[in-house]
Amino acid sequence: MASFCILVTHSPFDTQRAYSAYRFADAAINGGHTLAGIFFYQSGVNNSNNFQTPHADELNMYQKWKTLNDLHLVPLNVCVTAANRRGIINKEDAIERDLVHYNLTAPFEEVGLGELIELINGSDRTIQF
Amino acid sequence: MEYFIEFKNRKIATDKLGYLLDVQDWKPEMAPLLAQSENIEMDENRWEVVNFVREFYLEYNTSPAIRALVKAMAQKFGPDKGNSRYLHRLFPKGPAKQATKIAGLPKPAKCL
Amino acid sequence: MSALTIINRSAPYGSADGLEALDLCLAAASFGQQVNFIFLDDGIFQLLSNQAPNEIEHKNYSKTFAALEFYDVEYIYVCEESLAARNLSTKDLCIEVTLLNKQEIVAMLNTNAVVTF
Repeated sequence: MASFCILVTHSPFDTQRAYSAYRFADAAINGGHTLAGIFFYQSGVNNSNNFQTPHADELNMYQKWKTLNDLHLVPLNVCVTAANRRGIINKEDAIERDLVHYNLTAPFEEVGLGELIELINGSDRTIQF
Repeated sequence: MEYFIEFKNRKIATDKLGYLLDVQDWKPEMAPLLAQSENIEMDENRWEVVNFVREFYLEYNTSPAIRALVKAMAQKFGPDKGNSRYLHRLFPKGPAKQATKIAGLPKPAKCL
Repeated sequence: MSALTIINRSAPYGSADGLEALDLCLAAASFGQQVNFIFLDDGIFQLLSNQAPNEIEHKNYSKTFAALEFYDVEYIYVCEESLAARNLSTKDLCIEVTLLNKQEIVAMLNTNAVVTF
């Protein structure tokens, strides 16, 4: 049995990569492996945007990640700098910049890149999607 | 909201936390004012660090994180000044954070 | 703790890849992580000297490569074949690098984690 760090660097809708990451995560857990955490970097941070409103009959990646966290408590870490650059921001940072709205909420969490280094070193393998 | 500091009857734009928005706006005489907002009084040793951090930024287009600041200071001024205890004594809330603000540099990236 | 290998394959400015690879490199090094910073294919354009992206209102982060020594990033590798294929040599680059051929780069991939940009 192995532990994995999953790095997602692409947005949820435009390519299949985020979904592939989710499928891998789900399969790893079902196979008895552990997930140290999922880290969203570059355009991958768009996965954490809770303003995503796809049509009801289409894939909803936001819900997929949320369910993964609900069922298995997998940490969903989002690089704060990459997120803020792309208009994804939590309440605390929105207040700091006098913004009215925020779109990054639990179970997603704003963290620094140091958290990725810890995940990488705390798992057997890192897989980038 | 617009944020600024008053300097010689001019408004110098800052972010909410008091970091200058434009590096070019900075003048050395502004440093004591920026230092005051951090409850720091400028002296010779602090000037040395503030000038060093500003030169570092102008040369490398990035503010040094503490690890890099320590190493670069050590290279130029020797181990007595290139160590993090010394730098924290001068800037108790973090040299990377406070010295950059006083030097008129942008707020360092959160994740670095 | 084994090394983290960061691979640059994209030219600068046309995408955010180079800037965010550099951010990861600086963050990792700040945490004391050993980094192999590799440039191949169009990624070697990141390292060209005399870049002037101010013309396109872009921050010139290529100046930051020279600061990597202060972050203890000592392993900076460039793919020999990629350089030759673009009619470039190490003289065209803004920092000192170690040249590797493709086989040597493949050997580098046997580290704890590889992140590609």
